[in-house]
Formats: sequence, C-alpha cells, structure tokens
Amino acid sequence: MRLYAFCVYLFLYIPIGVIALFSFNAGRHASQMQGFSTKWYGKTLSNPFVMDALETSLIVAFTSALCASVFGTMAAVALQGIRGPLRTAFDMLIYIAVMIPGIVIGIATLIGLVTVFDQLNPLLAALWPEGLNPPKLRMGMGSLIAAHTMFLMALVVIIVRARLVGMDRSLIEASSDLYATPMGTFMQVTLPMIFPAILAGFLLSFTFSFDDFIIAFFVAGSETTLPIYVFSSIRRGVTPEINAIGTMVLSVSLLLLIAAQLLLQRGGHKSK
Amino acid sequence: MTQRTRNWLLLAPAGAWFMVMLIIPLTVVFIFSFGERAPSGGVVLAFTFEQYGNLPARWAAFKNTMTLAPIGTLSALLIAYPLAYFLAVKANPKWKTILLVLVIVPFWTSILIRSYAWIFLLGGRGIPALLDVIGIEGVRLINTPFAVLVGIIYGYLPLMVFPIYVSLDKLDKRLLEASSDLGAKSWKTFLQITLPLSIPGIATGCMLVFILLMGEYLIPAMLGGGKVFFVGNALVDLFLQSRNWAYGSAVAVTLVVVMLITVTIYMRLIYRLGASREDVSIM
Amino acid sequence: MTKDINNISKKEFLEKLESYRNGSITRRHFLNVTGLGAATAVLGGTVPGLRPTPAFAGDIGDRVVLATWPNYHDVANFDAFTETTGAHVQVNVFGSNEEMLAKLQAGATGWDVYVPTNYTFEDYVKEDLIEPLDVSRLPNYDAAAFEPRYAEAGSVNGTLYGVPKNWGSTGMAINTKHNDGKAISSWKEFFDITMDKFSGRTVVHDYQLTTIGSALNYHGYSFNSVNPGELADAEKLLIAVKPHLFAITSDYQPPMRNGDAWLTICWSGDGKQLNSDIPEIHYALGSDGGEIWSDYYAIPKSSERKDAAYALINFMLDPNVNVKEVLTHGYPTADSRTYDMLPADLKNDPIIFPAQDLLSPLEFGAAVTLTDPNRAELMARFKSA
Repeated sequence: MRLYAFCVYLFLYIPIGVIALFSFNAGRHASQMQGFSTKWYGKTLSNPFVMDALETSLIVAFTSALCASVFGTMAAVALQGIRGPLRTAFDMLIYIAVMIPGIVIGIATLIGLVTVFDQLNPLLAALWPEGLNPPKLRMGMGSLIAAHTMFLMALVVIIVRARLVGMDRSLIEASSDLYATPMGTFMQVTLPMIFPAILAGFLLSFTFSFDDFIIAFFVAGSETTLPIYVFSSIRRGVTPEINAIGTMVLSVSLLLLIAAQLLLQRGGHKSK
Repeated sequence: MTQRTRNWLLLAPAGAWFMVMLIIPLTVVFIFSFGERAPSGGVVLAFTFEQYGNLPARWAAFKNTMTLAPIGTLSALLIAYPLAYFLAVKANPKWKTILLVLVIVPFWTSILIRSYAWIFLLGGRGIPALLDVIGIEGVRLINTPFAVLVGIIYGYLPLMVFPIYVSLDKLDKRLLEASSDLGAKSWKTFLQITLPLSIPGIATGCMLVFILLMGEYLIPAMLGGGKVFFVGNALVDLFLQSRNWAYGSAVAVTLVVVMLITVTIYMRLIYRLGASREDVSIM
Repeated sequence: MTKDINNISKKEFLEKLESYRNGSITRRHFLNVTGLGAATAVLGGTVPGLRPTPAFAGDIGDRVVLATWPNYHDVANFDAFTETTGAHVQVNVFGSNEEMLAKLQAGATGWDVYVPTNYTFEDYVKEDLIEPLDVSRLPNYDAAAFEPRYAEAGSVNGTLYGVPKNWGSTGMAINTKHNDGKAISSWKEFFDITMDKFSGRTVVHDYQLTTIGSALNYHGYSFNSVNPGELADAEKLLIAVKPHLFAITSDYQPPMRNGDAWLTICWSGDGKQLNSDIPEIHYALGSDGGEIWSDYYAIPKSSERKDAAYALINFMLDPNVNVKEVLTHGYPTADSRTYDMLPADLKNDPIIFPAQDLLSPLEFGAAVTLTDPNRAELMARFKSA
C-alpha cells in the first residue's frame, strides 16, 4: 500500500521535477541540460510580456473571483428561501453553467459577443454626441472577466449552498425571535457560518480563472494572460523561460496554499 | 421590504449575468448552427439542416472523445482510489495533511506546463531512450492515444483523489473495526462496507473528470500531435482555421447535447447504485 | 492645408500637432505620422545632409508584437532592436496563413507586425484587415533592390501593403540514415515510403496549402487545384496516409532533431537549418511539384503601436540586420543589397538558392486556395479522421 502511494507520488512529481530541473538550464534548449544557471529566472522577471501577462492574469482572476463570490453568495442565500419555477429555472442555469465544456463557453461567448457588439457599435456611434469619439465595444479584459465570472458564480452557488444546507436553522430562528433585523441576522449569524465556504469558493474560483486557457484563448481579444503566453511560447520552440515561469507559479501557489490552510485551521472550520 | 423583494434583488445580478453571458451566447450558437458558411469565413443566417447533415464528417472526433473520456475517467479512478484509501484509512495522521497537500500541488501549476513536461518525457529522448538502454527498442509513445491517456490521468488525478478521500474520511472507522472483529476478511469488509460508502465520492470524482474530458482540447493538442483528435480540437479547428462558424456551431450544439444525455444516464446509474441526490455534488 | 493629409484626418493631424507642441512626441514622429515626413524626405533626398536617419530613434513605446512562423528569425536581432529602441519584441508563432486570417477576422489580436505569404494579400485587402504602408517611414526599404518576382504580391491595385521578408520553397526533408543513405525527391516517393518503411515517422504540415498541395502533386495535379474531383483523390490519399504519420504539425524541427520523425514536408530554410546541424538530413524539392513562395512584413489594421511596427520592419529591412537573419533561418533573400553581403558558399548553397530547373515545377500559392471552402473542410476532415 505504502509502496503504491509512493509510486503515485513519483508519477505526480517526476514531470514537475523535470520542469524545475530544466529551469536551471544554462543553454537555450529546453530538452538538453547544458550546465547550471539561474539566468532564465532573471530573464523571465525582466521580460515585460511575462510581467504584463502575469498582471492581466492576476487582475482577471481576482476580479472574477470577487464578483463570483459576491453575486454567487447572494444568489445562494436567496435561493434558500425560494421554491417554485424561479428556483427550478435557477437550478437549471447553474446546472448548465457547470456542465457546458469550457471550450463551448469560449466559442459561444466569442461569437455571441462579437455578434451583439456588431449590432451595438453602430447604435452607440449614432447615439453618441457629435464630435466625441464613441466608445467601441470589443473583446478584451472585460469580456474575459465576464465569461469567467459566469461559470465561477455557478461554482460558488454550489459550494455556499452545500454549507447553507448543513447549517443549523435554529440559530437563525433564535436570532429573529430576538427581534434582530434580517440584515442583522445575516451579518451576525449566517455570514460567519458560511464564511469558510465563501472563502473556499473564492480561492477555487481564483485558481480556475488563473489557470484557464481555453476560454481566454477565444475571449481575451488582444489581451494576453499567462497561460496564453505560455501556449504561444511552447509553439515558438521552447526556451527554459517556460520552465522558470512554471516553477515560480508552482512555488508561489504552494506558499499561498499553505497560508490558506493555516488560515482555515485557525478559523477552526473545515470547509469542503 | 418584503422577503420576496429581497430575494429578487439578491438574485438579480446573478440572473442578469447568466442571461447575458450564458443564455444569449448559447442562443446565438444555436441560431448559427442552422446557418451557412459565408464565402470568406464567418456565417450567413439561414434555416438549413446542412450543418447537422455534415456531422458524420466529425464522427472520428466524437468517437475518440467518447472512448478516451470514459477510459481516462476509469483509469484515473483505478489509480486514484487506492491512493485515496491509503490517505484516508492507512496513512499516519501526522503526515496526512502534508500528503494531501502534495496531491493538490501539481494541480496548481498550469495544465499547459504539466503537459509540456510530458512532451519531453514521452518523446524520443525521454522514456523511450531509457527503455532503449535496457534493451527495449523502437518504442514510440508521443503522439499516440496512450500519450493522451497519460496526460489525461496526470492532469486530472487530483480531481479524482479528493472527492473519494473526503467520502472515505467521513467513514466511521469503528465500522471497519467492528467488521474485522466479527471475523470478516479484509476484502469482504472492503466490498461490503468501505466501497458502498465511498460511492458518493467516486460518483463526484468521475463526474468532474468526465465533464472536463468531454471538452478537452489542450492535452490531445499537445500530446497527440494532431493525430488524436477530440471534439474540442475539431471545434478549435473550425473556428480558428477553416473559419466555418455555422458548422462549428452545429458541432458545439451536438457536443453539449451528447454530454447532457451521457451525464443524465450516468446520474441514473449512480442513483441506482444507492447514492442520494445530495451526494453527487460538483465539488 | 488639404482636409486629408496622407490618410490621417484633419482632427488627428491637429491632435498630433498638439502633442508635438506638448513635447509628448518627437519631431520625427510627428513628421512621420502626419506625412509631412514624406515631403521632407522627397525634398531631403536631393540634399545629402537632410536624408532621414532610420526612424527608430524616436520614442516608439516599450513593446511590439510580431506574428510569424516557427524558426524564422535570429533572436539576437530582436535583442539588438530592444537595445536600440527600448521596445521588446514579443513573438507569436503560427502554423498556417489560415490560422492568422481567422485570428484577425475574429477581432483584435494585439499584433503589430505579421508575415503573410504572397497569396493572402488580396483577401486581407478585401477584408480591410491590412494597413497600407507608408514608404516614407521605412527608409531602409528600397523597392529597386528587390527582385520583382518575390515582391510584386505585396502590392494590390498599386498600393503597397507588404515589403518582402524572404522567399523560399516547400519541399521535403528526409533523414537518410534510415533509408540506406538515399534521399528522395518527389511527392510520389514521399507518400509511398510513408506508407511503407517510414510508417509512423513522417510529419505533414498543419496547413491546407502545403499538405493538400503535396497530395495533389502525388497524383500529378496542380498544387493549387480546387477541382472537386482532384481534391477527392488527394483526400483519399491523405486519409490512407494518416495512420502512418508521426504528427500533423507545422513545427516539425523538434521531432526531426530528436530522431522521433524521419521525414517531413519542409520549408527550405528549416531544411537548411536541419541539414547544417545534422548532415544526414537531406532537403529536396519535389520533381513533380511543390510550392515557391514569398513572405512579406505587413501591419494589421488593428495594430495600436504602428510607430513600433514601422520601426521593427525598417530595422529588419536593414541589410546588415537582414544578412544575420538569412544566416540564421537559411531562406533566400530577394534583396540584392543583402544578397551581395552573403558569403560566397551561401550564394552557391543548393538548398538556399536551388538551380533554376529544380524551381520550374514549383508553383506560387493561389489566392483561391485561401478561401476555398472545400480545401478548408478537406483539411479539417483529414485532421479529425
């Protein structure tokens, strides 16, 4: 049993070891070790395209995770008190949003928005006051954040709802018996209880958005996220720069993961 | 403000968002799927079933997806289950958290970079070169269905381990002890107690991995060398190379329909195996 | 003042003038953008001291994005460009002209410079995706230095849209080690050996023009055919060959180098690069057909860094820079100034400058293949087969 587990860990970590090893390659080629050097880290960190892509990825991931957590939690809380067709319709939407493959979301968003923008842009130009440049709607960071938020929101609803279901209703009843306002009850009773779920939803959303390639591939317009940068570098004939990026992202994620774990443990709650 | 108004207000942003970013785009795709290819690429609106009639030309892509997705899911399950069992039941509690974290960590590097590592490992200078040394010559791994399968298992293993671990971890260890105290053989305990109780975890893990695999593009693109084609690859091709939006839309609609049918059948099967609706959650 | 100065409107002109006054753009930039530079250049040409120096001395921003093909540049030149101008070059690599066109059609790409092939210009102009070039901003461009055969496709209806990068041929590269030291030289042999002892070792491009074209040549048809019957024959061959392929990719150098692949459809420069490093890899043109082509530097309409785009193109056109490019990528140049600087052995290199009679079976790609729906769908079907 232990040997088996060891083998699986080996399987999981050999490729990562290879990535890390080649990131210290002194040569240009990503598949032939030619001496040890940390120069690719310096090169990567001083490459404005990598830094820009990283910045774009961080902004997109943070904004969409934040929007998804806020709106998703709102929806989850509201759905607790709703029955009937509206509830069914929402459940359907959430089901569809999680079920549809990322590639279809990417394509649908691309052609859907391009079509809508083509209709709206002349309209905007016609309505805009004479002499001013009318705004032009197009694909970019906005459309990417909107697309990510959409499916992440569904994810947050599911996670938060699971927590709400397991929650002790009597506390809420006690609170309203004590004449707390609904807002007061929410802030003092509900929110603290579902907070670990919201946090878990946020972190998960952030990861999904940060790692997403396929939706961004279609929707990002002229913006370059980190995965898109990596993808086009791989086609360019790879330098160890990619390995350096991978190793750094991994190290930072690891640190964040440990920090999150400590935070959750201190909170005394176990989410999932 | 009544309860009702408040609920409506709370739902409004999410509802509007789903409307603009999900329902409208999907409707456009649906409408386009009945259109025709414009001469220079793009789409001309029409009402024709021509695109759906052409679907057999992508039969191989659907066949690849519908075979490799289940095989990939099952292989990931077979590899993940013993590990999850080890982590939940056998592992030293002191090391458990660290071992668990070690399973997720690879998941935190982009799947792109992880697959890229496999290009090297499966290519001529990787594992085949090692096999050469021990006398097995001429093995080709990269650009085969096997390579894609390895990439799939590698990419999605953590997603499988986790739900199974969670359901096994909830399992009351006293049950297991009682069972062995009553003289049950260990495999019998496993089959009669452990396995049935972990079905919700298995169901969730399989569902997650299967859904992601049905829309997979990157792993076949990187490890299949253009020879192992999924529906996702066919879609990218139609939109980003041959510029046939109408046909691409028809393929996308078909993929979604096939997926909804498969998942519904799958859920039925799972319920029959005794999991309740709440058990099969996504995450 | 006329209301339209060299394609920029009066309003833009006044805005530019304002920024010039504010000092946010340099004088040269102002002259270039407004087209006054053209007038100055014409006048200045006659007065030696007034000849404009290369246009990259101004402030062009800190980046420029280039969409190009695999293994197509000397990376050191980009570093030099960054050093001179402060602008970093981001390289995006593509596998086919169709892919570039689809990206541009789908909306903003962020590219500033791209390298379309001869047969695509008509469509880029028709689709209004390509920027007419202002020669006054490319002081290193000398139309007279280029062989017309490899430069003429860059102009459509008398307007210049692209300046020649280099030309080349599409042939085949074989690792002769696996064929008893023998090379092959026809598409007939290419596909036959693939289905025989090279099974699992051959690469074809992820590119309709060359892959379908070679299969058409196998049957003795034109590389550019859009005849449905001839395309059906080509498809039959490609489907039969598919199980014997190593990969369908336009980035075939890595597997050829590490020994995974033994035979590939190959652009002449890649053939030269492979042959220089691994002498057993032999490059040959098809005696039964193939492609001769010319690639151009061009600017997509959607570029938002046109100053940087012009500066990069101008830099690459400098014969001192271009000669380093040729030494790296191994493609022939159509620029006589660059040609004159090449070492003699390269001028006589049979891969770079093949004998005229070997070139005669080759055809330039035809515009119709780019938009022909049957060729596009055939390629997509072949890939998903």
